[in-house]
Amino acid sequence: MMLELMVAASEDDSPWVLLLGGPIGGAATYWLIHRYYRNTDKSHAYERDTIIEADPVRGSEERTGHIAKTRKSGISGDNSGHHRRRVQRLR
Amino acid sequence: MTQELPPPPSPEEPAPSLAEELEAARAEPESPPSIETVNESLRDGINRCPKCGSTDVRLRGSSGMLMCLFCRNEWQETRVEERFGLGEGIRDLDGTVIASGAEDIAADAQDTVTFKCEGCGAEVVVDTAESLNARCHWCRHTLNVNSQIPNGAVPDAVLPFKLTKDEGVARIREFAGRRRLFAHPRFKEEFVPENVMGVYLPYLVVDAHADATYRGEGEVQTRRWTEKRGDDSVTYYAADVYRVDREVSFVVDDLTLEGSSERATMGPGNTNNIVNTILPFDTKNAVQWNASYLTGFSSEKRDLNVADLHPVLEDQLLSIGRSEVQASLRQFDRGVRWEAEGVDVGGSRWVAMYLPVWLYSYFQEDKQLLHYIAVNARTGETMGSVPVSHPRLFLAALTVGTFLEGIAGAILVASA
Ligand SMILES: [Zn+2]
Ligand SMILES: [Zn+2]
Repeated sequence: MMLELMVAASEDDSPWVLLLGGPIGGAATYWLIHRYYRNTDKSHAYERDTIIEADPVRGSEERTGHIAKTRKSGISGDNSGHHRRRVQRLR
Repeated sequence: MTQELPPPPSPEEPAPSLAEELEAARAEPESPPSIETVNESLRDGINRCPKCGSTDVRLRGSSGMLMCLFCRNEWQETRVEERFGLGEGIRDLDGTVIASGAEDIAADAQDTVTFKCEGCGAEVVVDTAESLNARCHWCRHTLNVNSQIPNGAVPDAVLPFKLTKDEGVARIREFAGRRRLFAHPRFKEEFVPENVMGVYLPYLVVDAHADATYRGEGEVQTRRWTEKRGDDSVTYYAADVYRVDREVSFVVDDLTLEGSSERATMGPGNTNNIVNTILPFDTKNAVQWNASYLTGFSSEKRDLNVADLHPVLEDQLLSIGRSEVQASLRQFDRGVRWEAEGVDVGGSRWVAMYLPVWLYSYFQEDKQLLHYIAVNARTGETMGSVPVSHPRLFLAALTVGTFLEGIAGAILVASA
């Protein structure tokens, strides 16, 4: 949420968005300290800290379309880095 | 990218005759052989020092070995890794192989075990939910539970404590010490790290091989330009859209899953993620069961079966596969959105283990929340949850916010 606000702030040139700095900074402080004490976001990184032997990755890709003009700098719903976010199960 | 084609399908073999099929069925065992891990050298009730025969045996933390309190002789049980060949043959596993200590918990299994004391013949009751050792009231022999009773209390292997209590206390003190400023005042007041408990927690340690499949969409940027719109310039992009398929086969060795349902439940209502975070352990050093390793420590009973944890295994294998294929996605510079995924577990092997944790717990009454500071008693990795003082935290946030707002105001005034 905070990130979106900041992005909105940077895309808009009005200097008045600077006034968001106070609330955003305050919220970030709260959140960072809270996380440092409570560690609710932590868990065992088994994807990295387990002995894993993988064969070479197989696969294919096929061009299915083209986006001629968009303001979005990336694909929507990018989850390639969120390994634990489950999607629909095959089979 | 790597493009490995599957081997061509072998030509159809002629269908076997009925006689051949019967022959094959007879040759194959009914169910996959499970791994029998009962420590045959021990009998219930007596864990004698191999040198002098005394039963006063306990773990010597600094050496990780069993020590006879009578003659100071030290020894240890054999590592299960070599004893049962747990490090090898993962690729050849077929179906679900379960070691005897990880077998299903019987619904009617009793927690209490009654022994006839070898020393004096008295009957001694051990409540395995609480402890796996007891002292005979009459002759003071130490009695131990070594057989694998079907109640989940006796695992296949145990990883002995390595960090001493003093080392555990020091880590907990350091962890909390760095979090004093915003800690809840009652927590600070009542903080007594010497109250730490040495607990053996139950885990199922899994070897498996699996194939994971992923389907999604990826985008490759083809153009980027800016257009003037009044005083502003707007950035636009053009991109090619791809359907992306990935598949990876892999082997995992000693993936470690919580074996107690209370510990395995993670969410905002508890701090179990803290105990999860101190994984992994050097499970390769786990030794064959001997209840003497537990003398002086407490233990939590396993209450989850292999079938209960199969979905957890699949979930973790899916995540591992996703992390393995990530490097093959670099060409999609606008990112990839996975839409479907599947995992096929070709074979898995399950071994029940007790792993050692120094655990400091603190119950926060106003939130009804149990906080843990946990120390991995092998690696020393420490993680914890310290209750915060919300008024103090709010004050800090307000101070920072006010300060930033002041700067913003100054800039606005200056630029106006
Ligand atoms: Zn001895
Ligand atoms: Zn006795």
